[in-house]
Formats: sequence, C-alpha cells, structure tokens
Amino acid sequence: MSLVQVIDVSKEYQSGEETIRPLDGVHLTMEQGDYVSLMGASGSGKSTLLNLVAGIDQVTSGEILINGTDITKLSRGILADWRAAHVGYVFQTHNLIPVLTAYENVELPLMLLPMSSAERRKRVEIAMAAVDLTNRADHYPRQMSGGQEQRVGIARAIVANPTIVVADEPTGSLDADTTEQILTLLGRVNRELGMTLLMVTHDADAAGRATRQLRLERSVLLEHGAPIATTRVLRTA
Amino acid sequence: MFKFFPYAAKSLWRHRTRSLLTISGAGVALLVFCFVGSVQRGLLVLTESQEAGQTLIVFQENRFCPQSSKLPQDYSRTIAKMPGVTSVIPIKVFTNNCRASLDSIVFQGMPAAQLKQARSLTLESGSWDGFARQGDGALVGAAVAGRRKLKVGDKFTIGDVTVLVAGVFHSSDAAEEGLIYTHLDFLQRARGQSEVGVVTQLEVQLAEGADPDAVARAIDAEFHAGPVATTTRTKGMFQADTLADLAELIGFIHWLGYACVALVLSLVATTTVMSVQDRIKEHAVLQTLGFRPLRVFRLVLTESTLLSTIGGGLGVIAGLTFLAWSGMSIAAEGVTIAFRPSWDVALQGMIASVAVGVLAGLAPGWQAARTQIVSALRHA
Repeated sequence: MSLVQVIDVSKEYQSGEETIRPLDGVHLTMEQGDYVSLMGASGSGKSTLLNLVAGIDQVTSGEILINGTDITKLSRGILADWRAAHVGYVFQTHNLIPVLTAYENVELPLMLLPMSSAERRKRVEIAMAAVDLTNRADHYPRQMSGGQEQRVGIARAIVANPTIVVADEPTGSLDADTTEQILTLLGRVNRELGMTLLMVTHDADAAGRATRQLRLERSVLLEHGAPIATTRVLRTA
Repeated sequence: MFKFFPYAAKSLWRHRTRSLLTISGAGVALLVFCFVGSVQRGLLVLTESQEAGQTLIVFQENRFCPQSSKLPQDYSRTIAKMPGVTSVIPIKVFTNNCRASLDSIVFQGMPAAQLKQARSLTLESGSWDGFARQGDGALVGAAVAGRRKLKVGDKFTIGDVTVLVAGVFHSSDAAEEGLIYTHLDFLQRARGQSEVGVVTQLEVQLAEGADPDAVARAIDAEFHAGPVATTTRTKGMFQADTLADLAELIGFIHWLGYACVALVLSLVATTTVMSVQDRIKEHAVLQTLGFRPLRVFRLVLTESTLLSTIGGGLGVIAGLTFLAWSGMSIAAEGVTIAFRPSWDVALQGMIASVAVGVLAGLAPGWQAARTQIVSALRHA
C-alpha cells in the first residue's frame, strides 16, 4: 500500500457569492521515501492540496489515506494528535515561536508525544545537528538570520521522525544562497534520513531537486505532463 | 499541562509592559478588596465573637457618646449580686472624637487588677507593676503606639488627658490594640474634672449558662426607677448599635470589593483578548504542530490565570502587609473596629484572583481554540 493516497479529493470554499473549487477529483499517491515537488500557478490549489495532506484543512469530498489512516474521518482533536505524530510542516515564513529559543522550538512538537525528557533531549540534539545549528540552540528567532530560522523550522519538522514532511514554499522568502542551503538540506533529509517529502514551490529549480515533479493545472495533477492517475498506472505497470 | 507553563510565562513576558500594567491593575484592585474584606471582618469579629455574646454592657439610657453616659459606680455592687453575674467592671471611657474617625483615641479607665484579669493583654514592653505603681500610667495598644510612635516612658497628651506610657501591649482581639488603658480613678479625675464615683459603662461578665437577655432585663428593671436609668445589651449588640451608621456604610462598601473583582476581570480579559488577537498565527502554528484545540484553550487560560494570580497575589500581600504594619482602625463613639489582616481575607483574595483569571480567559481561549488554521496562517 502506498504511504500517501489522495483519492478523488475535491475542495471548495465560498468567496463572497462565488464558490471556488481549487481541487476537483484529484488523485495522488506517494511511496515511502518519495521527494515530491508540486508546482502550479497562483491559486491553482497546490497549497490547498498540501494542507489537506498535512491534515490542517478539510476536504469537501474524497479520501486521504496516510499510512492506511483516512485522515478525513478523524475528529479535530484526534487529527491534532495524528499531526503531532505523523506530520512535519515547514512553513514559508518559518513561523518559529518568538518567545522560545531554537532548542525549545524544536523540542515543542516532542512535548506532545509520550516521551521521556532524556529521549526528547537526544532527539532535539540530533535534529539540531542535522541542520548544523547546534551552536545556535540558545538563540531566539530574532537573533537568527532567515536561513537559520528556516533550518530551525526544518529541524522542528523532522524531530518527531514524522511519516511525511510537507514544505510550503520553504525557500519563498530567502535569498539565492540561503535557498541553495535549504534545498540541499531538504535533499539530505530525504536521502539520508529517508523521510517522505511533499514540497510546494514556485521555483522550477527548487522543484527540480525533487525525485518527482508534479504540476497542478486546472484542478488536474500532472506528472510528466500527464494526469497523475494515468501516470501512476503506467508506473505500476 | 504544566510542561507548557514556561511557554505561557514567556509569552506574558514578551509583552511585559502590557503584562506588568495588567498585573499592577489587578494588584491595586485586590489590595482594595483585602482592605474592604479586613474592615468587614473587623466588624464581624466585634459583633459576633463569643465574648460579645456572653458579656453585657450597661450604659446610661438614651445615651450614645461615651462622654454623655454617666452611671453611678456603685451600681456595680448591686449588679454583682444578681443571679448569673460573675463580675462587674466599672469603666470610664474618654475619646477625643465621638464621630467616626480613622485616628480616634479611646481611653478606658479600669481598676488595674480587674483590667489584668479581664483582658488577655500581652505586654510587648513595660510591665504590669510599673503600670500599677504609676497613677497616670497607661497601657497603650500596639496599633495606637505604632500610629503615634509611642514607647514606654513617653508622656503624651490627647484631649487634655496626659498619661505616661507604662507598657505597650498586644491582644488577641485586634480592636483592643486600638485602646489605651488607664487607672479608673485617674480618668475620673482627668481634665480637671472630679467624677469619682461616676463611670461611663459597666461591663458585666456572665456565668456559663446564664441567659444574657434575662440578666440584661433584670439590670434595667433594677435601675429603672433609680437616679440614672440604664440600657443593658450584650457587648456584641452594644457595639453593633454604637456602630450602626458605620456598619451600614461598611455593608455598602462590600460592593466596592465586588467592583474590584469585576475590574480585575475586565482588565485581565482585555489583556488576554489583545494577546490572543496578536497571536492568531502563533496559535495556528501550534495547532499545525499538533496542539489540540483544548490544549490551546488551556494555554490561554493559563496565561490569563497567571496574570490575575500574580497581580492578585501581590495585591493581597501588599494589602495585608500594609494593614498589619499600619495597625489602622476606625472608631466611633468609643468603639473601635480594627482593620486586621487575616488568612480568611487572604484566601478569599487568592480564590477571587484565580477564579477571575480563569473566567477572563474563557472567551479568548475559546477564540484561540477555534482558530481556522489555514486562514490564520494565510492572513494573520
């Protein structure tokens, strides 16, 4: 069974009088260890799809199975617990908690999981080392550069060893050099830690780093220019 | 719950000016709350204590201010023989101000031996012997001594009464500490008057099981046709009647206590709402990381409760410390209400602070918990 199965998912919402339907019958599957980039025009629904997979938005119809769990059926509270254990989220604007140090920011998701403080400390140290920020552990977000903040954001996303890491335009607010560092880091997260990644980006170069590049156009998900469902059938064959 | 306590505390510290202003507001409000509570408690102790019900005060009929009550001292011998009476203490009262005042000085002249026996005074300085030997000696309550900066050996004059401080005492009855005890005959002769044989009131100690109302009726009946008619009431009732106007006022100011609590509620709620509105995105991030809505709700509640409890706690400590240090009291017609700090008032203040903190956090906590993650991340 695929790690991620998005089955006939539609999403619509009201914008004044108008009903917007960014996703209409979308299918997607991802295997363990996939690094998938998702591109598309503004408003195409790529961030919506990412948020649905991350369990922070609700589908209008369809199913999303992550590791066999249909997250569309979970209540709000259970879904939060599920996110804590299974999803690492990298935001475009880092979104670190400003009153917490880098170490505390990375530790935060672990505090929601049943874990001893010693185990927590060990995992945070590993995650901080993975993003090469051990020496910045006691720094607050305001004392760090944008790139360092994003690395802390990545450490926070991977620290709980989640089933899937989702990244919503992780380099969108960074300069070219820092973008390169972050993309390299995400590549390492996928290759060396074996984590499954879904990244939304506007940047074709960033998308090219992924092992699979998808494009969302007019509510249809394309891989290699063909609708995704067909693609998956071909891949399976 | 407590593992996120440091985060809640740090969030408050981040907006320290706002938090400190809220804390100081809550502190001032709880200080007033304790003040009001202490006054009410002082009145309650005065009118409802055990002693207040088992001791009678005989006063001249239809007289209210101590200066106007003039009873023959030998009434005490007649009363002492009545059934149910164990002893009678003749007391001459002099006060520099019959009206309600925060700085009234009340002298009570009593026979020294009876004073020592009837009152549980602990001398902080000076001695009973020194008081007994000194005709113009006075035992000064610690509250008055503190207020007027009096110590043993000092001579002071109030309202033409000049006494020498022979001792400073503490008492388990806070109101006592607002009094100055002198010898009875000294006060009868003070201010150039010769009122030997005349007292202001008689304090009648009753035997266990005696019916105070029956004894009071018997005393008044005995002197009804005498040279001076009497009105006899339990000490509690006497004090309540004497302080009736003041008690009404004190009864009214308890609303001030409630107003203080409401003020804290509105202050903490406003601060918490502002904090939540400033951090809509932060709460959405927390939920994205896996915080349940209920946990976010509790986090906000923790912050509001912390604000209110810290402010309230400081206010309670400041209020009770001030009351203990100042020895403040209010007196009217010779009866004193002490503003005595108590654990009861402290506990009420702390409970009010915590309850208000929780209440103040309910609405903003609900708002934070209901945050729609995606729209909050996108638009905040």
